[in-house]
Amino acid sequence: MTVPVITLLGTTALLFDAPGETDLPTQQRIWALALEAETWPEVREAVPGMNNLMLAFARAPRNLDALEARLHQAWEAAAPLPLDGRLIELPVTYGGDGGPHMADVITHTGLGIDDIVALHTAPEYPVFALGSHPGYCYLGGMDLRISTPRRKVPVLSIPGGAVSIGGAQTGVSASSGPSGWNTIGTTAMVFFDPARDPPALLRPGDAIRFRAERVIR
Amino acid sequence: MIEILSDTALATVQDLGRTGALNWGVGTSGAMDPLALAAGNLLLGNPAGAAAIEIQVFPFLVRFTEPCAFALTGADCAARLDDRPLLPWWSGAATAGQTLRLGLPTGTTWRASRAYLCVAGGIDVPDVLGSRSTQLRGAFGGHEGRALRQGDHLRTGTAAARITGFGAMPPALALPLERGGLPAIRVLPSAEYARYTAASRAAFWAEPWRITPQSDRYGYRLAGPTLTPEAPIELRSHGIVPGVIQVPHGGQPIVQMRDAQPSGGYPKIGTIIEADLWRLGQAPIGSRFHFIETDWTSALAARDANEAWLAGLDRLAGLHRMRSAAR
Amino acid sequence: MTLSAPDIARLSAWLAETDLAELELRGPGCHLRLRLRQDAGHVTPIAEPVTLHSVTSPSVGVFLPAHPLHDTLLAPAGTLVEAGQPVALLRIGALLLPVTAPVPGIVAEILATSGATVGYGTPLVALHPVAE
Repeated sequence: MTVPVITLLGTTALLFDAPGETDLPTQQRIWALALEAETWPEVREAVPGMNNLMLAFARAPRNLDALEARLHQAWEAAAPLPLDGRLIELPVTYGGDGGPHMADVITHTGLGIDDIVALHTAPEYPVFALGSHPGYCYLGGMDLRISTPRRKVPVLSIPGGAVSIGGAQTGVSASSGPSGWNTIGTTAMVFFDPARDPPALLRPGDAIRFRAERVIR
Repeated sequence: MIEILSDTALATVQDLGRTGALNWGVGTSGAMDPLALAAGNLLLGNPAGAAAIEIQVFPFLVRFTEPCAFALTGADCAARLDDRPLLPWWSGAATAGQTLRLGLPTGTTWRASRAYLCVAGGIDVPDVLGSRSTQLRGAFGGHEGRALRQGDHLRTGTAAARITGFGAMPPALALPLERGGLPAIRVLPSAEYARYTAASRAAFWAEPWRITPQSDRYGYRLAGPTLTPEAPIELRSHGIVPGVIQVPHGGQPIVQMRDAQPSGGYPKIGTIIEADLWRLGQAPIGSRFHFIETDWTSALAARDANEAWLAGLDRLAGLHRMRSAAR
Repeated sequence: MTLSAPDIARLSAWLAETDLAELELRGPGCHLRLRLRQDAGHVTPIAEPVTLHSVTSPSVGVFLPAHPLHDTLLAPAGTLVEAGQPVALLRIGALLLPVTAPVPGIVAEILATSGATVGYGTPLVALHPVAE
């Protein structure tokens, strides 16, 4: 994929997918594009994903071509927008009952649990976007050596605080719910409170570092 | 106040959904049948999006602790106010102490699975992040962020006495859509559609789909032909909306419904157009239906038809209330 | 609702004028069965001639004797209805209005055709009035 791809999500939204490998400079351009697009009358919300952007329509426009053309132009013009943020450290217990799919990651990657923990705790993970469920953060920067495909059948409920890997991404669930990712550990942190303003603890531009508090082998 | 008498799980307070909080990871929630919720509200002279109770497990009983004008829409549940039968898609007035009972949905000319109890002034729960819908995953919104329980008391909004005793034509009959004797639902192909085998794409439109018991407000898991991509598809997480038809690696699709998360990563073969999502929201578990391919122009025409139907109901109901009040 | 003796007399008279051999009425707290005695040949009218009350259309609309989600009539002939009770529906666009009995009575006949467009004042249902 060398050019952006725009596709429809029914009549509710469209999806803009940036070309290239997932990286922070591209994500910074997505943030810039989101700021621009959410001022457009057709757009109710501009929602960044991982190097992509969903535009939820205020009202589905009759002339879709005009909106798509404008989106392509705005992308060409979008310069990376660095966002200043905080670094939050999360203590994690890896493996054991709190990491029921660690064995699957070991099997898939061919690495030992200590190598997986070392690779997982090494980076500062920039928050690329929020999504999935209230307060959940999509993080960039995972070491591709611990990539593991999403599960064939989603798990009906994983608990809040579950640290997991899905494809080339990692994240921490903010509340219990279904998930297709592989849970490798657990942490305790309140990521979302609807009474707070803003309700989510983290926002794009912040970063997370995982610290191995305990590794259950 | 309304007191919940039955100990049925899964009845929730809903409105037309929460918009504007996607960037905090908050999905929209909202009524599985927004046309039914809006119609009930319009019969009462409420704003179309006033909060109501969505009921999906029966029988369901409530007691009115004070006089209350109400409307019942959605599934026909042979409702009774004390021992007096009520017509479906109808407004009524309860006196203090009366009990409303909704029985199992009956399906003579339309099989449906969810009923809506709207009240004059709407169900009075706090507006949280722009909506009164229950956000089950986040445990906020609606009544204490959860499904209703026996003994719950819900306040109703203040409202002047209302003219009741009339109803609405169910949109399933006014706006019918079927193919081969089964209900039909219109779909726009999504990003990964072309990456499925020609046989899978053909089967997607041609074969009927069955709604499995693993279906709820979050999503409907469907059973039918196995959908196979030309090559394995692994995607980066991206925004999704209710109506998106995802295909996990197993090849059996999942339709994201109103409590769906606002983002995902499974391949998307199509998206049910917003104008038709209520049809699936009402389709009972175990029932079968067809997907119909549509295009942008037809999808907007379907939206316009729904809006025109609601606008017509609003105008005629308003006229009727005005004339009745003048008499 | 109760039926008084004169009501029953009037009903008997009405029954005698029809081709019906039997009339059965059910309502809240009321069950009445009138049967024409074959040996009597006919019932002698014992009251003044019967006047049927005709329920007319409150508006222009499509006449529906059954709710569109139901396959049974709201009030088939013989149904005992209270004043204000819907005996049929009128569809106006997306709206369904009740056609209500103006007085308590027994539905004698549905006069209009299901699905027919009717005008204001069109007789829709014939009602045999009974005392409250």
